[in-house]
Amino acid sequence: MLSYAIKRVLGAIPTLFILLTLAFMMIRMAPGGPFDLEKQLPPEIEANLQAKYHLDEPLYQQYGRYLWDVAHLDFGPSFQYRDLTVNQLIADGFPVSLRLGGFSLLFALFFGIPFGIIAAMRQNKPSDYGLMTLAMLGISIPNFVLAPALILLLAVYNDWLPAGGLGGPLHYVIPVIALGTAMMAYVARLTRASTIEVLRSNFVRTARAKGLPERRVITHHVLPAALTPVVSFLGPATAGIITGSVVIETIFGMPGLGRFFVQGALNRDYTLVLGVVLFYGMLIILFNLLVDLLYAWLDPRVAYK
Amino acid sequence: MPFSKKLPLLLLTAFAVVACSGPDSFPVKEQPKILKDGRSVLRKGNGAEPETLDPHRAQSVGASTILRDLYEGLVSKAPDGELEPGGAESWEISADKKTYTFSLRQDAVWSNGDPITAEDYAYGLRRVVNPATASPYAQILAPVVNANAIIQGDLPPSELGVKVLDKNHLRIQLNSPTPYFLGLLTHSSTYPAYRLAVEKFGDAFTQPGNSVTNGAYKLDEWVVGSHIRLKRNTSYWDNANTGVDQVDYLPITDVGSELKRYQAGEIDWTSSVPIPQLDQIRKHIPGQLKTIPTLGVYYYGLNVTRPPLADSPKLRRALSMALDREIITEKITRGDEIPAYGWVPTVVDNYKGARMEFADWPREKRLAQARRLYKEAGYSQDQPLHLEIRYNTSESHKKLASVVANMWRVNLGVDTQLINEEWKVFLQNVRGKQLTQVFRAGWIGDYNDPYTFLELMYSRFGLNGSGYNNPEYDKLLDQAAVLPGGEERQSLMRRAETILLQDQPVIPIYFYTSKVLIKPYIRGFVGNGLGHYYSKDITIVPGRQSN
Repeated sequence: MLSYAIKRVLGAIPTLFILLTLAFMMIRMAPGGPFDLEKQLPPEIEANLQAKYHLDEPLYQQYGRYLWDVAHLDFGPSFQYRDLTVNQLIADGFPVSLRLGGFSLLFALFFGIPFGIIAAMRQNKPSDYGLMTLAMLGISIPNFVLAPALILLLAVYNDWLPAGGLGGPLHYVIPVIALGTAMMAYVARLTRASTIEVLRSNFVRTARAKGLPERRVITHHVLPAALTPVVSFLGPATAGIITGSVVIETIFGMPGLGRFFVQGALNRDYTLVLGVVLFYGMLIILFNLLVDLLYAWLDPRVAYK
Repeated sequence: MPFSKKLPLLLLTAFAVVACSGPDSFPVKEQPKILKDGRSVLRKGNGAEPETLDPHRAQSVGASTILRDLYEGLVSKAPDGELEPGGAESWEISADKKTYTFSLRQDAVWSNGDPITAEDYAYGLRRVVNPATASPYAQILAPVVNANAIIQGDLPPSELGVKVLDKNHLRIQLNSPTPYFLGLLTHSSTYPAYRLAVEKFGDAFTQPGNSVTNGAYKLDEWVVGSHIRLKRNTSYWDNANTGVDQVDYLPITDVGSELKRYQAGEIDWTSSVPIPQLDQIRKHIPGQLKTIPTLGVYYYGLNVTRPPLADSPKLRRALSMALDREIITEKITRGDEIPAYGWVPTVVDNYKGARMEFADWPREKRLAQARRLYKEAGYSQDQPLHLEIRYNTSESHKKLASVVANMWRVNLGVDTQLINEEWKVFLQNVRGKQLTQVFRAGWIGDYNDPYTFLELMYSRFGLNGSGYNNPEYDKLLDQAAVLPGGEERQSLMRRAETILLQDQPVIPIYFYTSKVLIKPYIRGFVGNGLGHYYSKDITIVPGRQSN
């Protein structure tokens, strides 16, 4: 297993290199540059700025310079936030995104899995229909609708929670619900489907036949098997939820990485966008690897060499 | 009842609460933030995150707002926008109006206790024009001797027309009399900088811990995307009169979220107001909404370098005449904007601007004339003009563009296509002057003088997106630029504006208002046309709970 993990990590390096090169070319092909503004700068001032950020050099030279810096883990200065480096921005933004995404994921799993199991156990009964209708609603309501509604209900009409900003744990409650609900609904549906399938399988029938209490059948036999699809869904989902919280971060004014990423792209903040792309790339590769390892641990039929 | 049955009920109730408490309740929590030790906090929405807190490299509104609290220029502004002494106690202007001698305050010190000297101001001014600083606003010092040559790299920064006479006296030499020069000295680009910090920390001299400032506040915390916290600078020379003790600037780009946080009692002063909620706000908290006429014009630029809009002032005039500006401001923008029948906003001081000839005509006469001009330009129902309006992504620009297209279609028969472009693409196309025909634009004055607007259409001015080039217009501006002010300068500028409105390379639509919400316990707010406010003039008086 260890050699497999090492092989995967080494294999990631060329992937990241291609990712970075493509991203570099693509952002440079986008029209406009970081210093284009409505109040266009006089040419001599623009030239001074270009020189300061080496944008006056030929592209291959800029690319070489950038690769050299990245190899030293220096992502360069941000073009938009001129007092800060991309390293600082990632170091500041990632913990926020991680907390937001991590709690949302926990929220989704904590409620989604039990809901899915309950629904599966009472298949085609009113509680199953009720839960699955709710799940459908949860998937269908976009978070940019859910979030303002929750803010109105919990922060404006009632004074229970803060409406936005960064602060204590309470500041995370509404954003986590808003971000995690769709995922919870998805997890619930996924769990229900796989549980129903597992409940019909032979080894569950055997477990019941040998007289095990129902609770033990569920926790020891059904659950591990039913959760494998949920786990394989977790890899991309974790990366997605950490990278995809842009809307929530904007609505709640949270300084996460997702917002930097989108703002960076709009501002043509080349270094910031590339830095975040590379960082996300590493993250996604890492999560997929973790999930594959977890998968092997859960399912004895899977083995890596 | 099992939980699974309760849950839908709970959710239904929740939505019912939101729905029922809908249009006719608009809760706004009016509770100022006072810290345990009694210090008052002003919490201000501040739009986009400032790109820097380096006064010489900043350019956004959000950054300048904060810099005004952190630093003080030679000249400052009273709450109503009138100029008043700042870092300089007094100044003398020579008879030819080209030499300014400033006497600094003897007792003024930096936030770390070091005395502020004339050298600090000179250092700041030289730093702005130094090409190595790459200051986007360096051009603001263009009136100063040698500034342009230094920006272009032809002379060293030490050649700037700024001379330190002694510790407390500074002399600035101008190329020509510039009546608005003192106003420029309130701009963040002209603030002093604490040399030791700049040299020691480089770009990071603006960070908390490194930052040394001379304004009423000093930097305490900066969490990018979350907040910038300023605390009272007790070393400030006028600390006794500084109002609020702490200022929290919150970067919030989503105006809807900003309003909700205002309602929830987390913000005292917003940076903007969402237009869809204006009616509710006017109904429930009319006293908290401030609409202030602003030095800015929203207009449609016309590319006059290419057909169909080139060489056809008649067509351009017809397009301008066919717009019902009152309908636009009353039904679409709805924020007390002023319909624009001139180019220079009506709130610019000491200037009575030119007006379009048709400004006071009745609607029928105006439309009849518009149709006649349209016909004379060679278009008709059978041969309609095909036009494209380009605008950058935004709901309000889109709405306005569709209204304009509709007015052109109904009143003239123009076939207009709307094209939405991403911001940077939009800018590039406007600049390229190839694809773009009509583009939405806005211009906010840098200082309170008609010149900042008229200059935009000067043929060699880099921002002249229309490609307008009228030697007569340029000549009038050249003449006005070297005059010290007074009636002659005014009349030259008025003549230039008249020519501009005749040629119509731009269609002014309305003059901006800035719209903000301010809680009733905030005192000391006086609106001004440039939107320049100093937190030190603000106090918080808790207790009053009505609107």
